[in-house]
Amino acid sequence: MNAPTTIAQTDRHRPGRVRQGRRVADRLLRVSCTVATAVGGLVLGSILIMLIIRGIQGFTPALFTHPTPGPGSEGGGIANAILGSLVLTGIGITIATPVGVMAGTYLAEYGRGSKLAALIRFLNDILLSAPSILIGLFVYTLMVRPMGTYSGWAGGVALAIIAVPVIVRTTEDMMSLVPSTLREAGAALGAPPSTVIVSVTWRAASAGIVTGIILALARIAGETAPLLFTALNNNSWFSPDLMGGVANLPVMIYQFALSPYPNWQGLAWAGALLITATILVLSIIARLVIKPHTSR
Amino acid sequence: MSALTETIALDRSRTRTVRKAPSRSLDTLFRTFSYGAALLVLLVLAGILGSILYGGWPAFREFGFGFLTSSAWNVGTEQYGALVAVIGTVASAFLALLIGVPVSLGIAVFLTQLCPGWARKPVAMTIELLAAVPSIIYGMWGLFVFAPLFARFIEIPVSNVVEGLPIVGTLLYARVPSGVGVLTAGIILAIMIVPFIASIARDMLDQIPTVLRESAYGIGCTTWEVVRHVLVPQAAVSIIGAIMLGLGRALGETMAVTFVVGNANRLSASIFDPSSTIASRIANEFNEADGLQLNALMALGCILFVITFVVLIIARLLTRRVKAA
Amino acid sequence: MNAASALPSVELTRNRADEDGPVRIAVKGLNFYYGSFHGLKDVNLNFHDRQVTALIGPSGCGKSTLLRCFNRIYSLYPEQRAEGEILLDGENILDPSIDLNELRSRIGMVFQKPTPFPMSIYDNVAFGLRLYEKLPKAELDVRVEESLRKAALWDEVKDKLRQAGTGLSGGQQQRLCIARTVAQKPEVILFDEPTSALDPISTGRIEELIEQLRDEFTIVIVTHNMQQAARISQFTAFMYLGQLIEFGPTNRMFMNPAEQRTQDYITGRFG
Repeated sequence: MNAPTTIAQTDRHRPGRVRQGRRVADRLLRVSCTVATAVGGLVLGSILIMLIIRGIQGFTPALFTHPTPGPGSEGGGIANAILGSLVLTGIGITIATPVGVMAGTYLAEYGRGSKLAALIRFLNDILLSAPSILIGLFVYTLMVRPMGTYSGWAGGVALAIIAVPVIVRTTEDMMSLVPSTLREAGAALGAPPSTVIVSVTWRAASAGIVTGIILALARIAGETAPLLFTALNNNSWFSPDLMGGVANLPVMIYQFALSPYPNWQGLAWAGALLITATILVLSIIARLVIKPHTSR
Repeated sequence: MSALTETIALDRSRTRTVRKAPSRSLDTLFRTFSYGAALLVLLVLAGILGSILYGGWPAFREFGFGFLTSSAWNVGTEQYGALVAVIGTVASAFLALLIGVPVSLGIAVFLTQLCPGWARKPVAMTIELLAAVPSIIYGMWGLFVFAPLFARFIEIPVSNVVEGLPIVGTLLYARVPSGVGVLTAGIILAIMIVPFIASIARDMLDQIPTVLRESAYGIGCTTWEVVRHVLVPQAAVSIIGAIMLGLGRALGETMAVTFVVGNANRLSASIFDPSSTIASRIANEFNEADGLQLNALMALGCILFVITFVVLIIARLLTRRVKAA
Repeated sequence: MNAASALPSVELTRNRADEDGPVRIAVKGLNFYYGSFHGLKDVNLNFHDRQVTALIGPSGCGKSTLLRCFNRIYSLYPEQRAEGEILLDGENILDPSIDLNELRSRIGMVFQKPTPFPMSIYDNVAFGLRLYEKLPKAELDVRVEESLRKAALWDEVKDKLRQAGTGLSGGQQQRLCIARTVAQKPEVILFDEPTSALDPISTGRIEELIEQLRDEFTIVIVTHNMQQAARISQFTAFMYLGQLIEFGPTNRMFMNPAEQRTQDYITGRFG
């Protein structure tokens, strides 16, 4: 009979403080976590509002039809930069997609259990977060210096190098989700491994692989640092031979935003709004594509 | 006996259709191509290291170990040292973690524990979209929106208060309260790494079995106690990995920092003062650089490579170990 | 050739001696390893042409492992290996020089869970056909219909051949997989617990189907369900801990097993 009374007594000694302290800590956690999330939302909102306020008045037909104007002059548009960006990301994703999907396929299908595959997987993950400016330096040394000129090709290759790890990772992840019985069923019909991969595994993982490609596209569309030393910029119309600097949105935004000319600054904001809107839409699409896949 | 054998033979000819095996060479080609693509990943990484080592070598040879400890950066006299940029890089990344980690964990806890079900998806999506915003946009936001506000409402009042005080008087004093500097870079970097850390931390918290959480709530724990004593210890290693991953990004981030760090080659004790990071200096000077300056910038790239890759390797080892367990 | 002389079943009491047929598959001294784990220990066994042989035994006894040796599907996993001989019509299929893909086109397999490919019903059935036979479209249509009819699925899907195979019910999916397998006209069909993921009605239909397929194919089925083994098989092999304990005509195995362990398992005393 003694023990319960003691517990009740000690309980009576401290309950107020203990309960109070617990409640305060709990309240504090709830409030600070909610505030943290609200700040995140606020920042995104503030960025979007900033872009819309400063960028929307630049949205004139001329923006899409005229090339960038000379320093200090009025008018003009960013049509050459838009076209250049499309071409550069196009080159990037065209190189990165086959390389990334095939490398991801190697990791998911052929390399299971091999040490080399484990190493490549590990290094790919590192490349995924590697500073993009270093990739710019690499492509500069690899292409710009030997060729003696900044070029669209170098810009495209730099963007491809950034996109590849994203595609490798999502391809491998999504192919690993395909049940192994499906592969066995393919093999049991006498299909060689490549046929099983192409007709069964890729198909089953297609939504996820496409998502990876869209995410990679969103990632490289706004990349600036690696383009500084590769494609650079150009104020004239896009030249299809891709030798020499190629105008592109990110570098144009960088140079114009920090320039002393109001006209250039206005064009930079319009470009920033355009590129952010495009990337956010791409990211939302990627998430919608993956949804039916994960729910299955 | 022979009758039986004949039956088998007959049988085989009946059921076994003539089969044309699919081409073997196509299969081998496919495999070789996929193997080659995977090797390309290795090759690119080796290429990055090789190219900057090659480019930076003359600077290392010229200045030796002194390159790391010298704060000089003088194009006229051709004297180059990495110290300011390295300190700027490390300081801004450290400040980014200091601010970004609590916020990220707060968001992760909010998303997994507090958020009502209907709001979870849109809130998570908003946070993830923050990761998709290009870094140059963060730079513009930092320079044109955040920096003026920061100068007016933080830098100037704080500088006025701390002026003349020991330690904080130097640490928090802005000689020119322009809003750009190491702390501003740290804050912008914090905003940029929050979505990464938060989404990994959220995944880790989600992976903790519900039973564990429910049993803690079942004995009367508050949310704080569940988080503090059940969730955080369970996910600790991988959350540290996620933080290291964020650190790796913060160290190498270029465009946003270039906008807001001030790009001064000055060693200052105040976090309000402008400085440089490795990445911002390369971005600023590379295109105009020539000769030894180019080599020095490449050498800076080598240092950045080593720092970020060590951090990223640790990060991946930490996050991987948890997955395997 | 020596297939007939290798018949051990001549000494056994046969319930349907006239239908035994010749030996199609002869397993000789088969050992199987998962890494260092010895999964099958010196298994010797014959399978008869156009008969259903059931492999029974408690979980982990090696019955699925044995089944997976016949089309060497295990070789998808580098740590798994088999030693010994498995003669298919006298040809050792464990021989490293054998063309695995060609072998697998001659030995079909139906899995525990239905495995429809992410493509249309038609393409699922045509998948194997397109691999090995270049058929004109009309002939392909005929073969697909024929296979779906054999799998008793034609009436249910004839109006939606272009729809996804994954949209069918579990039982229909399993019959689709059977159709896909028979389309290739294999010599042997392996069933790995084909009904364990299905409801009783679907199970009944699959069992009827296996009964009919026996007219054309040599069938080996792994099953957990003793009644199923008794209902549909002519021969039964009882395995335990990686060893073949007893093999014989199903009737005799169930009425009068020679081994105590077989008796115990069949009467539900363990397993």
